[in-house]
Amino acid sequence: MLRVLSAEWLKIRRKGIWFLVMLGPLGAVGLQGLNYAIRYDYLMPLYADDPWGRLITNVTMLMLPSMFIGLAILASMNAGIEHQMNAWKQTLALPVKRRDVFLAKFFITSLLLLVSSTLIIAFTLMLGWLLGLEMNPPVVQLLQASYYPYLAIMPFVALQTNLSVLIHNQAVPLTVGILGTVISMFALWLPDWMPWIWPYLENSYGEPLYSVLAGVGTGAVILLIGMLVFNRKDVR
Amino acid sequence: MNSPWMIETKQLTKMLGGKPVVDRVDMLIQKGEIYGFLGPNGAGKTTTIRMLLGLARPSSGHIRLLGKDIRRERLDILRKVGSLVEYPSYYGHLSGYENLEAVRRLLDIPKSRIDEVLAIVRLTKDAKRPVKGYSLGMKQRLGIATALLGSPELLILDEPTNGLDPAGILEIRELIKSLPRSQGVTILISSHLLSEVDQMATRVGIISSGRMIFQDSIARLRKQAKSGIRMRVSEPEQAMRLLHGHGFQAAVESELLAFDDLPDAQIGAMVARLSEHGHLIYRIEESAASLERIFLDMTGTEGSL
Repeated sequence: MLRVLSAEWLKIRRKGIWFLVMLGPLGAVGLQGLNYAIRYDYLMPLYADDPWGRLITNVTMLMLPSMFIGLAILASMNAGIEHQMNAWKQTLALPVKRRDVFLAKFFITSLLLLVSSTLIIAFTLMLGWLLGLEMNPPVVQLLQASYYPYLAIMPFVALQTNLSVLIHNQAVPLTVGILGTVISMFALWLPDWMPWIWPYLENSYGEPLYSVLAGVGTGAVILLIGMLVFNRKDVR
Repeated sequence: MNSPWMIETKQLTKMLGGKPVVDRVDMLIQKGEIYGFLGPNGAGKTTTIRMLLGLARPSSGHIRLLGKDIRRERLDILRKVGSLVEYPSYYGHLSGYENLEAVRRLLDIPKSRIDEVLAIVRLTKDAKRPVKGYSLGMKQRLGIATALLGSPELLILDEPTNGLDPAGILEIRELIKSLPRSQGVTILISSHLLSEVDQMATRVGIISSGRMIFQDSIARLRKQAKSGIRMRVSEPEQAMRLLHGHGFQAAVESELLAFDDLPDAQIGAMVARLSEHGHLIYRIEESAASLERIFLDMTGTEGSL
């Protein structure tokens, strides 16, 4: 598995993938920066009771749609590396387990998304301090705001990995990804069982961890299905 | 190894959309052979090769590579098999060296091997350039380098010269011929051009519409190239009757007298008879059906050459 991952690591060079990993967090935090810069005198008194908390919530609201679309693009790019020049037949004719090749694609996408989530934390901190908020931010809340949605969005990482790997035409997974992003913007009106609402960590029990657990569990099931299909599939 | 066969398929069949694309193929390839796998486009060559490599599942039949069952010991087998399937697979954004490195990491072999295979296919100079800037011939050579990377015992090359210009074809052919045969590498090379493998292969298998219609040494194939004698004379009909009268087998084919292959003495005798009776003999020629002809006759496909 490590061999496959290190090969994947090499393949994503010079694809602009790292730029994309930076772009999402930069956009989400940057837009909030703009928001605060323009309405500084209005917003600061308004958020005076919990300035850090409000900043984190605001960033999260912009972060989630960019995560939905970002993960779809990342998954598609990772799989596209093989589709583009029909490299599947070469990779799978090597002494590697099909399962490992498939999981490596999922792990690379997850890993890149994790980097983005971590960058969100770093950028939010920087913005907060730039805005002159107090030096000790609510660390737990900050970590939860970034990593809980990361875990709760796993069904979509799995789904997009499945679609991108199994379907040659990348227009399909990307369309699904874009539709999902649109749906996610209205997620707060959706019932609890819809996966799009999970990354928002909102549920009728008021317990964010339920959303996280639902996400991780469902993600694992979807990934398993994709893996089984990939194992049986004839390679073009 | 207890089986002498590097590749052994039994009744290998692949159904696609209810039709057999590969139909009960029995393929046998011995150690150290260069096996030419021939057939017109769409005959089932690539599908067969995909099944050999475990990329596609057979609908029925068995495959043994290096004496092992591909379904049970796929990873063990693939460790000793190098392959190039149809047009080359490569990562265009990576350099030639990085392409090989990506495969090397999967094979888990020393880095020095990359420089070795680059030297074999003469790409050392271009190794640092992105592959998307390579010519088709260079990409194909990189594909062969990739196939050689794991020092395979069995090399499976599917149409390695497809789409190349004559110079490129020659280059690849020289390359394949130069592959260290002393190391006992067995090579399966597929092509739709007989002339291409004619000069390399020791044995050939010809597949047409999914069925293996010939599998034997290339010498045996040549023997099937029936030769005969053609004779252009002034009055072919009369000449034929005359010869029949003297007990020779002759026929008229498009104004020419045609005979099966005959020893020189008999031909001399015929010529003497004809001259005696005043026939003018314009020319006597030997007609050998070319290998291409046999191939076309066997596969019954025009236009694939």
